Amino acid sequence: MDVFLQTLVAGILKGGLYALIGIGMTLIMGVMGIINLAHGQLMMLAMYVTFVLNTMGVDPYFSLFVAMPLLFLLGVAIQKFLLNPLIKADTILPENQVLMTVGIGMALTEIVRFIFSSDYKYITSTYSNQTFFLGNISFSMALTIAFGIAIAFTIAMFFFLVKTDLGRSIRATAQDKDAATLMGVNTGRITVITFGLGSGLVAAAGCLLAPVYYIFPDLGGPFTAKAFIITILGGLGSTVGAIFGGVTLGLAESLGATYFGMEYEDIIGLTIFVLVLLFLPGGFKRLTKV
Amino acid sequence: MKGTVGKACVVVAALLSLVMAGSAGFAAETIKVGVLLPLTGSMAKFGEIEKRSFDMAVEEINAKGGVNGKKIELLFEDDTGKPDVGRSGIEKLISREKVPVITGGYASSVVAAAAPVAQQFKVPFVICTGATDDVTEKGYDYVFRVNPTASEYPNAVKSFLREVATDVKTIALLYENTAFGQSSSKSFEKDAKELGLKIIVKEGYQAGAIDFKPILTKVKAANPDMIYMVSYVMDASLLMRQSKELRINPKMFVGGGAGFTLPEFAKSAGDAADGVYSATLWVDTLPFPGAKQYSDNFRKKFGSETEYHGAEAYATMYVVADALKRAKSITPKDIRDALTKTDMKTAFGPVKFISYGKKTQQNKLDTYMVQWQKGELEGVWPKNAATKKFIYPTPPWDKRK
Amino acid sequence: MKKNLLPLAVVALVAALPLVMKDNYYLHLMILFMMWVVIGSAWNLIAGYTGQVSFGDAAFFGCGAYTAGLLAYHLGVSTWWGLALGGFTAVAVGLPFGWICFRMRGAYFALATLALNEVLRHGATIAEKFTGGMVGILIMPSFTSKAPYYYIALAMAVASLASLQWVVRSKPGYYFVSIREDQDAAESLGINTHFYKMLSLAYAAFWTGIAGALYMNYMGFIDPHVVFNLHDISIMAILVGIVGGVGTVYGPAVGAFVMVAVQEMFRSGFFGLFKWLGAVSGSDSLVRVAAVLTQAHVLGFGILVVVVILFLPNGIVGDWPKIRKRVFRLDARA
Repeated sequence: MDVFLQTLVAGILKGGLYALIGIGMTLIMGVMGIINLAHGQLMMLAMYVTFVLNTMGVDPYFSLFVAMPLLFLLGVAIQKFLLNPLIKADTILPENQVLMTVGIGMALTEIVRFIFSSDYKYITSTYSNQTFFLGNISFSMALTIAFGIAIAFTIAMFFFLVKTDLGRSIRATAQDKDAATLMGVNTGRITVITFGLGSGLVAAAGCLLAPVYYIFPDLGGPFTAKAFIITILGGLGSTVGAIFGGVTLGLAESLGATYFGMEYEDIIGLTIFVLVLLFLPGGFKRLTKV
Repeated sequence: MKGTVGKACVVVAALLSLVMAGSAGFAAETIKVGVLLPLTGSMAKFGEIEKRSFDMAVEEINAKGGVNGKKIELLFEDDTGKPDVGRSGIEKLISREKVPVITGGYASSVVAAAAPVAQQFKVPFVICTGATDDVTEKGYDYVFRVNPTASEYPNAVKSFLREVATDVKTIALLYENTAFGQSSSKSFEKDAKELGLKIIVKEGYQAGAIDFKPILTKVKAANPDMIYMVSYVMDASLLMRQSKELRINPKMFVGGGAGFTLPEFAKSAGDAADGVYSATLWVDTLPFPGAKQYSDNFRKKFGSETEYHGAEAYATMYVVADALKRAKSITPKDIRDALTKTDMKTAFGPVKFISYGKKTQQNKLDTYMVQWQKGELEGVWPKNAATKKFIYPTPPWDKRK
Repeated sequence: MKKNLLPLAVVALVAALPLVMKDNYYLHLMILFMMWVVIGSAWNLIAGYTGQVSFGDAAFFGCGAYTAGLLAYHLGVSTWWGLALGGFTAVAVGLPFGWICFRMRGAYFALATLALNEVLRHGATIAEKFTGGMVGILIMPSFTSKAPYYYIALAMAVASLASLQWVVRSKPGYYFVSIREDQDAAESLGINTHFYKMLSLAYAAFWTGIAGALYMNYMGFIDPHVVFNLHDISIMAILVGIVGGVGTVYGPAVGAFVMVAVQEMFRSGFFGLFKWLGAVSGSDSLVRVAAVLTQAHVLGFGILVVVVILFLPNGIVGDWPKIRKRVFRLDARA
């Protein structure tokens, strides 16, 4: 029983972090239909920012306030200068945007490798290894805090999208770009801001992950994959869906690792991904309403 | 305007032909030795340590008169850690640079792809690090290996289990899904059977995992006497940190791979690294000629620590130079023949290429066990290599100071 | 006939190359180039002509490679049989692959192919007993000289281009394009879009599988990470197609040449040019430039991808008029 409970806890806590990674992507995919294959690399950048700040003595949690705005600006720049021009280009295939993100991801990884080398960097903080116990079950302090912050962000995003003008403009653009333009929404600006927002959110995930993991230039790839799985699970554009998607993925991975074998962790996620694509195309969103 | 393009083409063509001519024309009184290493990519750090060690060794050898008066010149090829790039790299060394002997070889998969090429073209390849067993089990007479193979890494652990930790009966085996991890785990399973020990948990994992808690929870529930992990440095660090978080208390934690001996492991795992044993191939306190000096010189020259990969590279350079000195002529065949007669002592240990078991032209070396004690890596087994006494069994997490 | 004159001349040149150039290094690059012509052209049919942008072609490449490899690993049979069988195994895998993925369109299809690619890669890693896992399959290549491989690769490249040209001009070829342009309209015109999409994928899988089998024979070593690789094979195939020009017969061929050349150029620091210049002129800064270039070779490649996509969205062949105008300052009329 202990094994089951511990696995459950591990999965849920991990899921919170995953959800935060997914929220950024679900916004970008939901609003612009762009597959951002550089999502993980943006998170990687935020982790390096956290690392640099840590060497100067800044606590990783404070890095949130630096990394998020920085990545927001970077996201805005990427969308404005590299992705927007492609929308206007006349090509046979619309998938150029995706490839552009591949190129961007590659470039980001290599720039970081150039500056920091491939060495593994890590953050030492007081709460990196801290745990608290409820009965026999161990809870990682850092992951629990991350979980809490992820929920907080989700709630904040929810209210932002539903209650504010900017949020509603984003949702309008996601629903129907042309209609939104006709209604007076500056969709060009919205897409740029949304990419920035998505980048800022994944930056938060990076800052929260840094104390419990480690940092190296190539870490982006697997996280991009997870972000997709969560986005598709939860439904494009749905922040609440992202939480469900994240926790579901976290649980599936943990339970799969314990009961099938840790080797199968990634395959389980990928299989769920394909199954959802096949049988539940709208994701969890279909079952709820946001 | 077509003229500009035409002129540009002429210039480019001229430059290209100069390059091709130039690269062929560097004849000189040097002996060229090819070195295949991961200079860029994810393994670049070790490529750098080995490159520096090779360079250091060559400097020393050349300063003492080189090979019968001629200086050695190293030609490095970057395999970027990928076997196909390694393969074309070694081909480049053989057919373009026409080196008479090649050394290096870090990643197991790169070595596996490159060795047959050396064999096919009959140019001797002296491997210094790549550990996958099968490369010296194929009867390639142009391939030599200085370092022990993956299956031999845990030899000291085995003797420790036989002589000291005799109360260990059950083992949990965790390994990364790489060539090294998979081949090490297979051979360790065989070793455990030999020793009459039971492997009660056996799990492979994708390197780079974030969360080992599910598998560690399973391990904790199975309550093994020993946990054996074949992991690279950061996975090793996370494994230990999360073992501490879950309060797993076997009699010993043992690392079977490179990860557990690197300083980064201890620095990032903090006190979770204390008491962890690891199989290793070398420590600088071993009574080999030049071992300590090599380590000190490296630290002085580059400002960072070396470790066993560097020692392998350093020693292998001396092996190659020794064969070059004895070779009847600087041709692949004569160098190969000279290599078969190698019998020398190096900073990494004695080197003599022999056949045993399925292996041919393999150097047979002892391996050792080290243990992290209060942030320092101490040699603890066998007794003749020990700098400090081993601490066994490992005290439980909550009983530690 | 005139239209085919240039390609035929190129083929003749390429065929004659090993007779004049004995440098194995360049022959190796040419073999890689020809292999990528096959892979890129195959991807071009399913993506460029049929409009289904697959991100998972490595799945087929790996199947072909492992067919060849496993024949040796388990049965002790020569890996050359893989060339004959590899294409068919890849198609066998491609059929369920397509059946799953074609239920989706556009971005979702792309993601699904990516996911299945990764599933195969992980699967091959885990199924150690069957595939040898990450230890890989190692064989001694049959030939020492590059020439046999060179001509086999050349034959494959020419065959794949010829068959592509034939398919594109055939009835299925027109159906493919109609699916790309508007799948629903095509369906409403009575075209069985599902059947033709599968056909297109089968073609792509077949050729990519054969390329994989060639790789096993030529390189002598494979492991799941190398042959099912997302970045180095699947995405490279897409880049080859896009840089060359999708929806054109010769686009991927040009793309293959450019990508292989550029990648190697960056990795070797312009083929050692800067290093040589530095050594010859004694200039320290030139040597340092060389070192930087080799260190950052992947970065250079990534930046190039970004630049090409920005300025040549239809590829070199597709945007050729644009290139003629801007680079060579030739008027479009000339």
